[in-house]
Amino acid sequence: MIGLDLGSTRAKLVRVVDGEVEFRSEVISPRWRELLDMVEAGESIATTGYFRHQVDGAEAITELTAARWGIRRLVPDAEVIVDIGGQDTKVQDLRTNRFVLNDKCSAGTGAFLEMVANYFDLGVEDLAAVASEAREPAKINSTCAVFAMSEMVSQLGGGASQADVVAGMHHSFAHRIAELVPEAERIVLVGGGARNGGLVSELSSILEVDLHVPDHPAFVNALGAMEYMTSSSPKV
Amino acid sequence: MVPPELVFGCGHTPHDLNNHVPTSECVPRAKLCAWTATWRDMLLRGELRVDRLVVVAGGDCHNALVDGQRVAHSGIPTHYFFYPFDGNEGEMRDHLVSLEAFLGGITDQAALDGVADIKDLCIQLDMARCRRQVLGSRVFNHLIQLCDLGGDPERFGASVKRALEDRPSDVPDIRIGLVGVPPIYPDFHEVCESFGMQVVFDELPWEFARMGGRTLTTMARNYAGYTFARDLEYRFDALERELGRRRVDGIVHYTQYACHHVLEDDMLRERLDLPMLTVQGDLPRICPEQERLRLEAFAELLRGGGP
Ligand code: SF4
Repeated sequence: MIGLDLGSTRAKLVRVVDGEVEFRSEVISPRWRELLDMVEAGESIATTGYFRHQVDGAEAITELTAARWGIRRLVPDAEVIVDIGGQDTKVQDLRTNRFVLNDKCSAGTGAFLEMVANYFDLGVEDLAAVASEAREPAKINSTCAVFAMSEMVSQLGGGASQADVVAGMHHSFAHRIAELVPEAERIVLVGGGARNGGLVSELSSILEVDLHVPDHPAFVNALGAMEYMTSSSPKV
Repeated sequence: MVPPELVFGCGHTPHDLNNHVPTSECVPRAKLCAWTATWRDMLLRGELRVDRLVVVAGGDCHNALVDGQRVAHSGIPTHYFFYPFDGNEGEMRDHLVSLEAFLGGITDQAALDGVADIKDLCIQLDMARCRRQVLGSRVFNHLIQLCDLGGDPERFGASVKRALEDRPSDVPDIRIGLVGVPPIYPDFHEVCESFGMQVVFDELPWEFARMGGRTLTTMARNYAGYTFARDLEYRFDALERELGRRRVDGIVHYTQYACHHVLEDDMLRERLDLPMLTVQGDLPRICPEQERLRLEAFAELLRGGGP
Protein backbone atom coordinates (compact mmCIF):
# COMPACT_ATOMS: atom_id res chain seq x y z
CA MET A 1 0.00 0.00 0.00
CA ILE A 2 1.27 3.43 -0.93
CA GLY A 3 0.61 6.84 0.63
CA LEU A 4 1.59 9.84 -1.46
CA ASP A 5 1.77 13.41 -0.18
CA LEU A 6 2.04 15.55 -3.30
CA GLY A 7 2.79 18.86 -1.59
CA SER A 8 3.43 22.27 -3.09
CA THR A 9 7.22 22.09 -2.82
CA ARG A 10 8.06 18.44 -2.09
CA ALA A 11 6.40 15.11 -2.85
CA LYS A 12 6.71 12.23 -0.42
CA LEU A 13 5.93 8.53 -0.67
CA VAL A 14 5.56 5.88 2.01
CA ARG A 15 4.98 2.19 1.46
CA VAL A 16 3.45 0.16 4.24
CA VAL A 17 3.65 -3.60 4.32
CA ASP A 18 1.92 -5.61 7.06
CA GLY A 19 1.27 -2.43 9.01
CA GLU A 20 4.92 -1.36 9.06
CA VAL A 21 6.53 1.41 7.04
CA GLU A 22 8.88 -0.36 4.67
CA PHE A 23 10.10 2.47 2.51
CA ARG A 24 10.12 6.30 2.22
CA SER A 25 11.08 8.48 -0.68
CA GLU A 26 11.00 12.20 -1.44
CA VAL A 27 11.48 14.38 -4.53
CA ILE A 28 10.87 18.03 -5.36
CA SER A 29 7.25 18.55 -6.41
CA PRO A 30 7.78 19.25 -10.13
CA ARG A 31 9.16 15.68 -10.32
CA TRP A 32 6.37 14.01 -8.32
CA ARG A 33 5.50 11.62 -11.16
CA GLU A 34 8.83 9.86 -10.64
CA LEU A 35 7.40 8.53 -7.38
CA LEU A 36 4.76 6.66 -9.35
CA ASP A 37 7.53 4.55 -10.91
CA MET A 38 8.00 3.00 -7.46
CA VAL A 39 4.41 1.79 -7.30
CA GLU A 40 4.05 -1.89 -8.02
CA ALA A 41 1.29 -3.28 -10.20
CA GLY A 42 -1.96 -3.69 -8.28
CA GLU A 43 -0.78 -1.67 -5.28
CA SER A 44 -3.47 0.63 -3.90
CA ILE A 45 -2.61 4.32 -3.56
CA ALA A 46 -3.91 7.06 -1.29
CA THR A 47 -2.99 10.66 -2.07
CA THR A 48 -3.02 14.00 -0.33
CA GLY A 49 -1.50 17.44 -0.97
CA TYR A 50 -1.90 20.00 -3.74
CA PHE A 51 -1.69 17.52 -6.62
CA ARG A 52 -3.78 14.83 -4.88
CA HIS A 53 -6.45 14.67 -7.56
CA GLN A 54 -3.97 14.00 -10.34
CA VAL A 55 -3.32 10.32 -9.71
CA ASP A 56 -5.80 8.07 -11.52
CA GLY A 57 -7.49 5.48 -9.35
CA ALA A 58 -6.09 6.84 -6.08
CA GLU A 59 -8.18 7.75 -3.06
CA ALA A 60 -7.59 11.47 -2.45
CA ILE A 61 -8.08 13.38 0.79
CA THR A 62 -7.03 16.84 1.97
CA GLU A 63 -3.82 17.36 3.94
CA LEU A 64 -5.87 18.28 7.01
CA THR A 65 -7.63 14.94 7.16
CA ALA A 66 -4.41 13.11 6.27
CA ALA A 67 -2.55 14.82 9.14
CA ARG A 68 -5.25 13.77 11.62
CA TRP A 69 -4.99 10.14 10.56
CA GLY A 70 -1.21 10.14 10.50
CA ILE A 71 -1.02 11.63 13.96
CA ARG A 72 -3.59 9.25 15.34
CA ARG A 73 -1.18 6.45 14.52
CA LEU A 74 1.97 8.19 15.72
CA VAL A 75 0.85 10.36 18.66
CA PRO A 76 -2.60 9.13 19.72
CA ASP A 77 -3.00 11.64 22.56
CA ALA A 78 -2.15 14.74 20.48
CA GLU A 79 -4.37 17.77 21.05
CA VAL A 80 -3.10 20.14 18.38
CA ILE A 81 -1.35 19.54 15.05
CA VAL A 82 0.81 22.25 13.50
CA ASP A 83 1.69 21.41 9.91
CA ILE A 84 4.33 23.74 8.47
CA GLY A 85 4.25 23.22 4.74
CA GLY A 86 5.93 24.92 1.81
CA GLN A 87 3.09 27.31 0.95
CA ASP A 88 1.00 27.44 4.09
CA THR A 89 0.83 26.52 7.74
CA LYS A 90 -2.16 24.57 8.99
CA VAL A 91 -3.15 24.34 12.63
CA GLN A 92 -5.79 21.87 13.81
CA ASP A 93 -7.28 21.67 17.27
CA LEU A 94 -8.31 18.03 17.60
CA ARG A 95 -10.33 18.77 20.74
CA THR A 96 -12.71 21.14 18.96
CA ASN A 97 -12.25 20.13 15.32
CA ARG A 98 -11.29 23.71 14.47
CA PHE A 99 -8.64 24.36 11.89
CA VAL A 100 -6.95 27.49 10.58
CA LEU A 101 -4.72 27.97 7.58
CA ASN A 102 -2.21 30.73 7.21
CA ASP A 103 -2.16 31.10 3.47
CA LYS A 104 -2.59 34.83 2.92
CA CYS A 105 1.01 35.72 3.73
CA SER A 106 4.20 33.72 3.28
CA ALA A 107 5.68 34.95 6.60
CA GLY A 108 4.54 31.82 8.46
CA THR A 109 5.30 29.24 5.79
CA GLY A 110 8.22 27.18 4.53
CA ALA A 111 8.55 29.58 1.58
CA PHE A 112 9.74 32.25 4.00
CA LEU A 113 12.54 30.08 5.37
CA GLU A 114 13.53 29.25 1.82
CA MET A 115 13.83 32.96 1.01
CA VAL A 116 16.14 33.40 3.97
CA ALA A 117 18.24 30.35 3.04
CA ASN A 118 18.49 31.45 -0.60
CA TYR A 119 19.66 34.88 0.42
CA PHE A 120 22.64 33.37 2.24
CA ASP A 121 23.13 30.71 -0.41
CA LEU A 122 22.39 28.02 2.18
CA GLY A 123 20.08 25.03 2.23
CA VAL A 124 16.98 25.33 4.47
CA GLU A 125 18.33 22.38 6.46
CA ASP A 126 21.50 24.39 7.30
CA LEU A 127 19.61 27.28 8.91
CA ALA A 128 19.25 25.72 12.35
CA ALA A 129 23.01 25.07 12.64
CA VAL A 130 23.77 28.64 11.57
CA ALA A 131 21.25 30.07 14.05
CA SER A 132 22.76 28.05 16.90
CA GLU A 133 25.96 30.13 16.57
CA ALA A 134 24.07 33.34 17.29
CA ARG A 135 25.32 35.53 20.14
CA GLU A 136 22.59 38.13 20.13
CA PRO A 137 19.68 37.26 17.82
CA ALA A 138 18.68 40.26 15.69
CA LYS A 139 15.28 41.85 16.32
CA ILE A 140 13.02 41.47 13.29
CA ASN A 141 9.71 43.16 13.95
CA SER A 142 7.91 42.97 10.65
CA THR A 143 5.12 40.46 10.25
CA CYS A 144 5.33 40.65 6.46
CA ALA A 145 7.84 38.37 4.74
CA VAL A 146 9.00 40.98 2.25
CA PHE A 147 9.51 43.68 4.88
CA ALA A 148 11.17 41.15 7.20
CA MET A 149 13.68 40.45 4.44
CA SER A 150 14.49 44.14 4.08
CA GLU A 151 14.78 44.46 7.87
CA MET A 152 17.20 41.55 7.77
CA VAL A 153 19.34 43.28 5.14
CA SER A 154 19.44 46.49 7.21
CA GLN A 155 20.50 44.49 10.25
CA LEU A 156 23.36 42.99 8.24
CA GLY A 157 24.22 46.49 7.00
CA GLY A 158 24.31 47.61 10.64
CA GLY A 159 26.92 44.96 11.45
CA ALA A 160 24.85 42.01 12.73
CA SER A 161 26.35 38.60 11.98
CA GLN A 162 24.74 36.07 9.66
CA ALA A 163 24.04 33.80 12.65
CA ASP A 164 22.35 36.60 14.63
CA VAL A 165 20.18 37.51 11.68
CA VAL A 166 19.16 33.91 10.91
CA ALA A 167 18.31 33.36 14.57
CA GLY A 168 16.23 36.56 14.52
CA MET A 169 14.39 35.34 11.46
CA HIS A 170 13.61 32.03 13.18
CA HIS A 171 12.19 33.93 16.10
CA SER A 172 10.00 36.13 13.93
CA PHE A 173 8.85 33.11 11.90
CA ALA A 174 8.00 31.16 15.05
CA HIS A 175 6.00 34.14 16.33
CA ARG A 176 3.83 34.18 13.24
CA ILE A 177 3.01 30.52 13.71
CA ALA A 178 2.49 30.81 17.47
CA GLU A 179 -0.31 33.31 16.87
CA LEU A 180 -2.32 30.52 15.24
CA VAL A 181 -1.76 27.87 17.92
CA PRO A 182 -4.34 27.41 20.70
CA GLU A 183 -3.21 26.70 24.25
CA ALA A 184 -2.60 22.97 24.73
CA GLU A 185 -0.32 20.50 26.47
CA ARG A 186 0.24 18.09 23.62
CA ILE A 187 1.19 19.95 20.46
CA VAL A 188 2.62 18.01 17.55
CA LEU A 189 4.66 19.55 14.75
CA VAL A 190 4.62 17.96 11.30
CA GLY A 191 5.55 18.91 7.73
CA GLY A 192 8.87 19.99 6.25
CA GLY A 193 9.19 22.93 8.67
CA ALA A 194 9.29 20.51 11.62
CA ARG A 195 12.72 19.31 10.41
CA ASN A 196 14.19 22.69 11.31
CA GLY A 197 15.44 22.30 14.88
CA GLY A 198 16.00 26.05 15.30
CA LEU A 199 12.39 26.75 14.51
CA VAL A 200 11.13 23.97 16.77
CA SER A 201 13.01 25.30 19.79
CA GLU A 202 11.95 28.92 19.12
CA LEU A 203 8.33 27.89 18.81
CA SER A 204 8.57 25.74 21.88
CA SER A 205 9.93 28.61 23.99
CA ILE A 206 7.29 31.06 22.72
CA LEU A 207 4.47 28.61 23.44
CA GLU A 208 6.09 27.54 26.72
CA VAL A 209 5.46 23.87 26.03
CA ASP A 210 7.54 20.93 24.81
CA LEU A 211 6.62 20.33 21.23
CA HIS A 212 6.42 16.81 19.98
CA VAL A 213 8.03 16.10 16.60
CA PRO A 214 7.45 12.55 15.37
CA ASP A 215 10.18 10.74 13.43
CA HIS A 216 10.03 11.68 9.76
CA PRO A 217 7.62 14.59 10.28
CA ALA A 218 7.45 15.39 6.57
CA PHE A 219 5.98 11.93 5.88
CA VAL A 220 3.11 12.11 8.37
CA ASN A 221 0.52 13.19 5.80
CA ALA A 222 1.52 10.50 3.30
CA LEU A 223 1.18 7.94 6.07
CA GLY A 224 -2.12 9.48 7.17
CA ALA A 225 -3.63 9.30 3.68
CA MET A 226 -2.82 5.61 3.65
CA GLU A 227 -4.17 5.07 7.16
CA TYR A 228 -7.39 6.75 6.15
CA MET A 229 -7.73 4.51 3.11
CA THR A 230 -7.33 1.38 5.18
CA SER A 231 -9.64 2.54 7.98
CA SER A 232 -13.17 1.28 8.25
CA SER A 233 -14.66 4.69 8.98
CA PRO A 234 -17.17 6.27 6.55
CA LYS A 235 -15.46 7.38 3.37
CA VAL A 236 -15.40 10.85 1.85
CA MET B 1 -31.36 45.87 1.62
CA VAL B 2 -33.55 48.54 0.03
CA PRO B 3 -37.21 47.36 0.03
CA PRO B 4 -37.76 46.46 -3.64
CA GLU B 5 -41.57 46.42 -3.33
CA LEU B 6 -41.50 50.10 -2.46
CA VAL B 7 -39.33 50.95 -5.45
CA PHE B 8 -41.60 49.03 -7.84
CA GLY B 9 -44.68 50.47 -6.09
CA CYS B 10 -43.39 53.99 -6.75
CA GLY B 11 -43.15 53.20 -10.44
CA HIS B 12 -39.38 52.70 -10.64
CA THR B 13 -37.20 49.72 -11.46
CA PRO B 14 -34.69 48.79 -8.76
CA HIS B 15 -31.26 47.69 -9.73
CA ASP B 16 -29.18 46.09 -6.99
CA LEU B 17 -25.60 47.19 -7.63
CA ASN B 18 -24.21 44.42 -5.44
CA ASN B 19 -25.36 41.81 -7.93
CA HIS B 20 -22.83 43.16 -10.43
CA VAL B 21 -19.91 42.77 -8.06
CA PRO B 22 -19.11 38.99 -8.03
CA THR B 23 -18.63 38.88 -11.80
CA SER B 24 -17.11 42.35 -12.15
CA GLU B 25 -13.61 42.89 -13.47
CA CYS B 26 -13.41 46.38 -12.04
CA VAL B 27 -10.43 46.77 -9.69
CA PRO B 28 -11.41 49.50 -7.21
CA ARG B 29 -8.88 52.23 -6.49
CA ALA B 30 -9.24 53.00 -2.81
CA LYS B 31 -11.00 50.26 -0.97
CA LEU B 32 -11.87 48.67 2.33
CA CYS B 33 -14.63 46.19 1.47
CA ALA B 34 -14.60 45.17 -2.19
CA TRP B 35 -18.41 44.99 -2.36
CA THR B 36 -19.06 48.69 -1.84
CA ALA B 37 -15.82 49.90 -3.46
CA THR B 38 -16.57 47.96 -6.64
CA TRP B 39 -20.06 49.33 -7.21
CA ARG B 40 -18.81 52.79 -6.24
CA ASP B 41 -16.07 52.74 -8.87
CA MET B 42 -18.33 51.14 -11.48
CA LEU B 43 -20.71 54.07 -11.01
CA LEU B 44 -17.96 56.70 -10.98
CA ARG B 45 -16.39 55.24 -14.14
CA GLY B 46 -19.75 55.06 -15.90
CA GLU B 47 -19.63 51.25 -16.20
CA LEU B 48 -23.04 51.23 -14.49
CA ARG B 49 -25.66 53.92 -14.97
CA VAL B 50 -28.45 54.77 -12.54
CA ASP B 51 -30.84 57.74 -12.31
CA ARG B 52 -30.88 57.80 -8.54
CA LEU B 53 -29.04 55.99 -5.80
CA VAL B 54 -30.45 54.64 -2.55
CA VAL B 55 -27.78 53.62 -0.05
CA VAL B 56 -28.44 51.54 3.04
CA ALA B 57 -26.40 53.80 5.24
CA GLY B 58 -27.36 52.63 8.69
CA GLY B 59 -28.04 49.17 9.99
CA ASP B 60 -26.21 46.46 8.14
CA CYS B 61 -23.20 48.17 6.55
CA HIS B 62 -20.95 51.07 7.55
CA ASN B 63 -18.70 51.21 4.51
CA ALA B 64 -21.63 51.86 2.19
CA LEU B 65 -22.26 55.20 3.88
CA VAL B 66 -18.89 56.61 2.81
CA ASP B 67 -18.80 55.00 -0.62
CA GLY B 68 -22.37 56.20 -1.22
CA GLN B 69 -21.33 59.75 -0.40
CA ARG B 70 -18.44 59.53 -2.87
CA VAL B 71 -21.01 58.67 -5.54
CA ALA B 72 -23.40 61.42 -4.37
CA HIS B 73 -20.51 63.84 -4.77
CA SER B 74 -20.38 63.02 -8.48
CA GLY B 75 -23.88 64.44 -8.90
CA ILE B 76 -26.15 61.37 -8.75
CA PRO B 77 -29.23 62.15 -6.59
CA THR B 78 -28.75 59.97 -3.49
CA HIS B 79 -30.97 58.94 -0.60
CA TYR B 80 -29.69 57.38 2.61
CA PHE B 81 -31.88 54.67 4.03
CA PHE B 82 -31.60 53.61 7.68
CA TYR B 83 -32.69 50.66 9.80
CA PRO B 84 -33.34 51.23 13.51
CA PHE B 85 -30.99 49.34 15.81
CA ASP B 86 -33.71 48.71 18.39
CA GLY B 87 -36.37 47.47 15.96
CA ASN B 88 -38.64 50.46 16.57
CA GLU B 89 -41.52 50.10 14.10
CA GLY B 90 -42.49 53.77 14.17
CA GLU B 91 -38.98 54.80 13.26
CA MET B 92 -38.83 52.14 10.55
CA ARG B 93 -42.05 53.53 9.11
CA ASP B 94 -40.57 57.05 9.09
CA HIS B 95 -37.60 55.80 7.06
CA LEU B 96 -39.92 54.02 4.62
CA VAL B 97 -42.03 57.17 4.26
CA SER B 98 -38.97 59.27 3.56
CA LEU B 99 -37.77 56.74 0.95
CA GLU B 100 -41.24 56.79 -0.61
CA ALA B 101 -41.05 60.59 -0.83
CA PHE B 102 -37.62 60.42 -2.51
CA LEU B 103 -39.12 58.02 -5.06
CA GLY B 104 -42.17 60.23 -5.75
CA GLY B 105 -44.86 58.30 -3.84
CA ILE B 106 -46.63 54.97 -4.33
CA THR B 107 -48.44 54.91 -7.67
CA ASP B 108 -48.68 51.22 -8.47
CA GLN B 109 -50.13 49.07 -5.68
CA ALA B 110 -50.42 46.08 -8.05
CA ALA B 111 -46.68 46.09 -8.62
CA LEU B 112 -46.12 46.24 -4.88
CA ASP B 113 -48.49 43.28 -4.34
CA GLY B 114 -46.76 41.38 -7.15
CA VAL B 115 -43.45 41.51 -5.30
CA ALA B 116 -45.13 40.27 -2.12
CA ASP B 117 -46.55 37.28 -4.04
CA ILE B 118 -43.14 36.41 -5.43
CA LYS B 119 -41.56 36.63 -1.99
CA ASP B 120 -44.18 34.12 -0.75
CA LEU B 121 -43.05 31.75 -3.51
CA CYS B 122 -39.42 32.33 -2.59
CA ILE B 123 -40.10 31.31 1.00
CA GLN B 124 -41.47 28.03 -0.36
CA LEU B 125 -38.38 27.65 -2.52
CA ASP B 126 -36.14 28.33 0.47
CA MET B 127 -37.78 25.55 2.46
CA ALA B 128 -37.85 23.12 -0.50
CA ARG B 129 -34.05 22.89 -0.34
CA CYS B 130 -34.31 21.62 3.22
CA ARG B 131 -36.41 18.75 1.84
CA ARG B 132 -33.74 18.16 -0.83
CA GLN B 133 -36.16 19.08 -3.60
CA VAL B 134 -33.95 21.76 -5.09
CA LEU B 135 -30.23 22.47 -5.10
CA GLY B 136 -29.01 25.11 -2.66
CA SER B 137 -27.15 26.93 -5.43
CA ARG B 138 -30.36 27.37 -7.42
CA VAL B 139 -32.20 28.70 -4.37
CA PHE B 140 -29.38 31.11 -3.54
CA ASN B 141 -29.26 32.42 -7.12
CA HIS B 142 -32.95 33.32 -6.81
CA LEU B 143 -33.04 34.65 -3.26
CA ILE B 144 -30.02 36.89 -3.79
CA GLN B 145 -31.89 38.55 -6.64
CA LEU B 146 -34.80 39.49 -4.40
CA CYS B 147 -33.34 42.96 -3.94
CA ASP B 148 -34.35 43.86 -7.48
CA LEU B 149 -36.00 40.76 -8.98
CA GLY B 150 -33.71 41.14 -11.95
CA GLY B 151 -35.62 44.32 -12.81
CA ASP B 152 -38.47 42.18 -14.25
CA PRO B 153 -40.82 40.65 -11.64
CA GLU B 154 -42.81 38.67 -14.19
CA ARG B 155 -39.81 36.91 -15.61
CA PHE B 156 -38.30 36.43 -12.20
CA GLY B 157 -41.54 34.97 -10.80
CA ALA B 158 -41.68 32.46 -13.69
CA SER B 159 -38.12 31.42 -12.95
CA VAL B 160 -38.96 30.84 -9.26
CA LYS B 161 -41.93 28.66 -10.27
CA ARG B 162 -39.74 26.58 -12.58
CA ALA B 163 -37.23 26.09 -9.78
CA LEU B 164 -40.07 24.91 -7.54
CA GLU B 165 -41.34 22.44 -10.11
CA ASP B 166 -38.06 20.94 -11.34
CA ARG B 167 -36.56 18.09 -9.35
CA PRO B 168 -32.79 17.68 -9.34
CA SER B 169 -31.42 14.19 -9.94
CA ASP B 170 -28.99 14.39 -7.07
CA VAL B 171 -28.77 16.58 -3.97
CA PRO B 172 -25.73 16.49 -1.65
CA ASP B 173 -26.45 15.05 1.78
CA ILE B 174 -24.34 17.21 4.12
CA ARG B 175 -26.45 20.19 5.27
CA ILE B 176 -24.66 23.51 5.61
CA GLY B 177 -25.80 26.86 6.96
CA LEU B 178 -24.07 29.84 5.36
CA VAL B 179 -23.88 32.66 7.88
CA GLY B 180 -22.65 36.23 7.39
CA VAL B 181 -22.63 38.40 4.30
CA PRO B 182 -23.00 36.61 0.94
CA PRO B 183 -19.75 35.26 -0.55
CA ILE B 184 -18.12 37.47 -3.17
CA TYR B 185 -17.22 34.32 -5.14
CA PRO B 186 -19.94 33.66 -7.74
CA ASP B 187 -19.44 29.87 -7.69
CA PHE B 188 -19.31 29.40 -3.91
CA HIS B 189 -22.50 27.31 -3.60
CA GLU B 190 -21.56 25.13 -6.55
CA VAL B 191 -18.14 24.51 -5.01
CA CYS B 192 -19.83 23.43 -1.75
CA GLU B 193 -22.03 21.08 -3.75
CA SER B 194 -19.04 19.60 -5.55
CA PHE B 195 -17.76 18.52 -2.11
CA GLY B 196 -21.11 17.02 -1.13
CA MET B 197 -22.48 19.95 0.89
CA GLN B 198 -25.94 21.36 0.26
CA VAL B 199 -26.39 24.92 1.54
CA VAL B 200 -29.78 24.76 3.28
CA PHE B 201 -29.58 28.24 4.79
CA ASP B 202 -28.26 31.54 3.45
CA GLU B 203 -28.54 34.13 6.16
CA LEU B 204 -28.90 37.37 4.24
CA PRO B 205 -30.90 36.00 1.28
CA TRP B 206 -33.27 34.47 3.83
CA GLU B 207 -33.85 37.96 5.17
CA PHE B 208 -34.50 39.24 1.66
CA ALA B 209 -37.30 36.69 1.27
CA ARG B 210 -38.99 37.00 4.63
CA MET B 211 -39.07 40.79 4.89
CA GLY B 212 -41.70 42.63 2.88
CA GLY B 213 -45.34 43.66 3.02
CA ARG B 214 -48.16 45.19 1.04
CA THR B 215 -48.62 48.40 3.03
CA LEU B 216 -46.19 50.76 4.73
CA THR B 217 -47.42 49.52 8.09
CA THR B 218 -46.79 45.82 7.40
CA MET B 219 -43.50 46.68 5.75
CA ALA B 220 -42.47 48.69 8.79
CA ARG B 221 -43.29 45.73 11.05
CA ASN B 222 -41.33 43.24 8.94
CA TYR B 223 -38.31 45.36 8.06
CA ALA B 224 -37.92 46.45 11.69
CA GLY B 225 -37.05 42.81 12.41
CA TYR B 226 -34.12 42.77 9.98
CA THR B 227 -31.69 40.81 12.14
CA PHE B 228 -28.53 42.09 10.47
CA ALA B 229 -29.37 45.60 11.61
CA ARG B 230 -30.30 44.63 15.18
CA ASP B 231 -28.23 43.84 18.25
CA LEU B 232 -26.22 40.63 18.07
CA GLU B 233 -28.27 38.76 20.67
CA TYR B 234 -31.40 39.29 18.60
CA ARG B 235 -29.61 38.09 15.49
CA PHE B 236 -28.02 35.07 17.17
CA ASP B 237 -31.41 33.99 18.60
CA ALA B 238 -32.87 34.08 15.11
CA LEU B 239 -29.89 32.19 13.70
CA GLU B 240 -30.14 29.50 16.35
CA ARG B 241 -33.83 28.99 15.56
CA GLU B 242 -33.34 28.85 11.80
CA LEU B 243 -30.28 26.61 11.87
CA GLY B 244 -32.03 24.21 14.25
CA ARG B 245 -35.19 24.12 12.16
CA ARG B 246 -33.15 23.29 9.07
CA ARG B 247 -31.11 20.65 10.91
CA VAL B 248 -27.73 21.82 9.63
CA ASP B 249 -24.65 19.63 10.15
CA GLY B 250 -22.21 22.52 10.09
CA ILE B 251 -21.87 26.26 9.55
CA VAL B 252 -19.73 28.15 7.10
CA HIS B 253 -19.19 31.71 8.28
CA TYR B 254 -18.32 33.80 5.28
CA THR B 255 -16.52 37.02 6.12
CA GLN B 256 -15.40 39.81 3.85
CA TYR B 257 -12.02 41.49 4.18
CA ALA B 258 -12.33 44.89 5.89
CA CYS B 259 -15.96 44.31 6.88
CA HIS B 260 -16.86 44.94 10.52
CA HIS B 261 -18.88 41.69 10.59
CA VAL B 262 -15.49 39.84 10.68
CA LEU B 263 -15.39 40.73 14.37
CA GLU B 264 -18.47 38.60 15.02
CA ASP B 265 -16.68 35.35 14.24
CA ASP B 266 -15.60 34.48 17.78
CA MET B 267 -18.99 35.40 19.19
CA LEU B 268 -20.73 33.18 16.68
CA ARG B 269 -18.43 30.31 17.57
CA GLU B 270 -19.18 30.75 21.24
CA ARG B 271 -22.89 30.94 20.69
CA LEU B 272 -23.64 28.37 18.00
CA ASP B 273 -22.85 24.87 19.10
CA LEU B 274 -22.05 23.41 15.69
CA PRO B 275 -18.87 22.72 13.71
CA MET B 276 -17.94 25.98 12.03
CA LEU B 277 -15.61 26.93 9.23
CA THR B 278 -14.65 30.55 8.65
CA VAL B 279 -13.85 31.68 5.14
CA GLN B 280 -12.66 35.14 4.16
CA GLY B 281 -12.88 36.66 0.71
CA ASP B 282 -11.62 39.92 -0.70
CA LEU B 283 -11.81 40.70 -4.41
CA PRO B 284 -14.47 39.13 -6.63
CA ARG B 285 -13.20 36.07 -8.49
CA ILE B 286 -13.84 32.36 -8.93
CA CYS B 287 -13.51 30.62 -5.55
CA PRO B 288 -9.72 30.35 -5.00
CA GLU B 289 -7.91 27.07 -4.49
CA GLN B 290 -7.18 27.67 -0.82
CA GLU B 291 -10.85 28.30 -0.02
CA ARG B 292 -11.71 25.12 -1.90
CA LEU B 293 -9.22 23.26 0.25
CA ARG B 294 -10.88 24.59 3.40
CA LEU B 295 -14.32 23.61 2.16
CA GLU B 296 -13.18 20.15 1.09
CA ALA B 297 -11.48 19.56 4.45
CA PHE B 298 -14.62 20.75 6.25
CA ALA B 299 -16.75 18.34 4.22
CA GLU B 300 -14.38 15.50 5.14
CA LEU B 301 -14.66 16.46 8.79
CA LEU B 302 -18.45 16.55 8.74
CA ARG B 303 -18.56 13.23 6.96
CA GLY B 304 -16.70 11.64 9.81
CA GLY B 305 -13.27 11.76 8.18
CA GLY B 306 -11.68 12.44 11.55
CA PRO B 307 -10.22 9.59 13.49
S1 SF4 C 1 -19.34 42.92 3.31
FE1 SF4 C 1 -19.58 44.21 5.11
S2 SF4 C 1 -18.61 46.15 4.58
FE2 SF4 C 1 -18.95 45.02 2.68
S3 SF4 C 1 -20.92 45.70 1.90
FE3 SF4 C 1 -21.31 43.91 3.15
S4 SF4 C 1 -21.74 44.66 5.21
FE4 SF4 C 1 -20.78 46.31 4.05
